[in-house]
Amino acid sequence: MNLFRSEEHARRWPAFQARSEEGFIGLAELAGFFATESRHHMLDADYLSTWYPRRAEERRAYLERIGKTSPFWLGTPDPGTA
Amino acid sequence: MADALLMDRMFQRIMRGLVDTGRAPQYAELARALGVGIEQGRLLLHDVMRAYPIGWLHPETDYIASFPPLNNLPTQYRVTVRGEQRWFAQCGFEATSATWLFPGETVRVDAPCLDCGDPVTVEMRDGRIAWVDPPGVVGHLNYGFGPSRGRPPFL
Repeated sequence: MNLFRSEEHARRWPAFQARSEEGFIGLAELAGFFATESRHHMLDADYLSTWYPRRAEERRAYLERIGKTSPFWLGTPDPGTA
Repeated sequence: MADALLMDRMFQRIMRGLVDTGRAPQYAELARALGVGIEQGRLLLHDVMRAYPIGWLHPETDYIASFPPLNNLPTQYRVTVRGEQRWFAQCGFEATSATWLFPGETVRVDAPCLDCGDPVTVEMRDGRIAWVDPPGVVGHLNYGFGPSRGRPPFL
């Protein structure tokens, strides 16, 4: 999960996976993805027990809101491989 | 599995230690801080890491390697706050989350582009992007999340 100067730079990266053509995300959307409510509580005394368990659901909801609903982003099995 | 309160306390000690010093405490230090025995502290650390699997210990050790959003092992994502570059982010994505550990501060992330080595810089304050250079910076997920993702140390 890296930052590149542009999409073209990422595609020239020798380790670039062809499948990851769908793996681009704009910086503003990325910042939003990592700004869900639980992230605001990482220093709280009850983060691990109270906030961390909410993270997966928040992430999924955010990804759906920005249209990243493929198995690649949601971490669900690919159709035909389940 | 240890009790939830003790795990919360250890988690907070690790995160706070990283924020305050740029490095994660070792389990013996954590044990002392929590008032438990050294071996109990070591076992508790393993429990915490199992409960927080987006971080990891260095393989076959009790050393914290990654505790996102920060990393105890240096990465290319250098984090600077108040003019001091003490921290590293786990990855480029988590780098955008480091802002939440430093409320009210400008958090600067500098990294070399893995294609050309030229700099990528992002500054954030309280979750807002304050500066980006170059303007076209993008995030890229090379392996999908979930079962298809790569092994953690090679995100």
